Amino acid sequence: MIIVAVIAILVLIIGIGIYNSLISKKNQVANAFSAIDVMLKKRFDLLPNLVETVRQYMQYEGDTLTKITELRGKALGSNVSESDKLALDQQIGSAVKGLMVSVENYPDLKANTNFLNLQSTWTESEEQIAAARRNYNSSVTTYNNAVMMFPGNMFAGMLGYQPMPVLETAEEERKNVDAKELFNN
Amino acid sequence: MAVNFVISPAVQSVLEELEIQRKKIVSTNYKGWGLILGGILLAFPVTNFGGLIAGLLVGAAAVIPGGVMLYKISDDTAQYKSRFKKEVVGAALSSVDQCLTLDPTNGISEAEFTSSQLFTTGIDRYHTEDLICGKVDKTSFYFAEVHAEYKTETRTKNGTQTTWHDILKGIVFTADFNKNFNGVTVVRPKDFGSSIGAWFSKNIFSVGDKNVVELENDGFNKNFVTYSTDQVEARYILTPAMMERINDLNQRSAYTVSLSFINSSMYVAFPLDKNYFEAPVYKTLLRADLLDDDISILGFMYDIVHELDLNTRIWTKQ
Repeated sequence: MIIVAVIAILVLIIGIGIYNSLISKKNQVANAFSAIDVMLKKRFDLLPNLVETVRQYMQYEGDTLTKITELRGKALGSNVSESDKLALDQQIGSAVKGLMVSVENYPDLKANTNFLNLQSTWTESEEQIAAARRNYNSSVTTYNNAVMMFPGNMFAGMLGYQPMPVLETAEEERKNVDAKELFNN
Repeated sequence: MAVNFVISPAVQSVLEELEIQRKKIVSTNYKGWGLILGGILLAFPVTNFGGLIAGLLVGAAAVIPGGVMLYKISDDTAQYKSRFKKEVVGAALSSVDQCLTLDPTNGISEAEFTSSQLFTTGIDRYHTEDLICGKVDKTSFYFAEVHAEYKTETRTKNGTQTTWHDILKGIVFTADFNKNFNGVTVVRPKDFGSSIGAWFSKNIFSVGDKNVVELENDGFNKNFVTYSTDQVEARYILTPAMMERINDLNQRSAYTVSLSFINSSMYVAFPLDKNYFEAPVYKTLLRADLLDDDISILGFMYDIVHELDLNTRIWTKQ
């Protein structure tokens, strides 16, 4: 009788552990996504300053600057889904990268301290977003494993938890940051 | 970077002077210990034939001068070792980089070692020496030999027996990191305990270590367990490229290294079997391979800045 009670208590404790673990993993995923959101917000906040600084020097990049401003406006819109926001961020990233390459044609801009600071902050924000995305993917993988593997899948079925998709890494993020490429081109 | 050190004529003349001093130390050591041993050996037969007093007098007549000789030469030995570090190892450092300096009596303080969080075991005995400082381009660094130990006490029939265990015997390297960060990230060698902790963290979150960071690099995860106060910041520091670099660095080290990133600095602990930058007493100084081991470890430390790409300053930290 005692043995049966001990086994029952053990099963109950393990069950509570797995249940709590699933809940916290799901919360972890939500938390990881909000970290990306915070990073994106910080990055979008850099754009007006960057565009204004660059506009004073770059006479021939007006289209790119307008495009960046428009994309930022869309990304900060109230009806934008999280996935659209990420897609817009990738477009902004590509546009800013193109802009940074054009800086070579504007020696005065290259020497501007404010621009150099913005450039460093931009590069930092790219790495921070990459880190936040990796953190999100790690949380999703851990959550998916828990949801799909035994015994977690039994609880996941009862709670209606489904596997989630991981974020695809943009080709640029897979590459190592190359200082020469960023500053000398 | 392979570091080549050619002994200059100035260093050669110092070595020749030191060699004379070394021979004197060795010969005095032999004489001193010879007298002590001879006195003890002689004391026994004299005691048998001439009584205890005679034995003690004969023994003391040899042991006391022997002891005095050893005592007197100890100052010379300390001076010899100090000159070797300053004038020979110092010259070797300058040949690698003029900015490198050696302070034989200083090291990494116990407080700094503890605050680096490289190891969690409490320290009972701590010794540090041979602080080497330098700067490669924008990155300042320093490293020193550290011997940190903890003790265990067991009760025996004869009382309490104390056993000392190493926490780290080797070199702690620290450099200014090229990115700003606020939290603490620690990369420790994977052992049985940490593997179990990581498993619980992954599978039964409520009882595991919540600070474990699951990274994507399998090679890295095979050797290390990463803990951090901030999951995103840990990945900001440990980029895929950085993990590869740490793997490479680890492969070049005889034992698995430990790393910590704290207060905008990085610390690396290298466990080593040998005490470096020491003057040999019982081996000649006039040999071609005299400084090979020292130069090799120096080159290894100097290379870390390049290997971990710490001079890349494209982020807000300049």
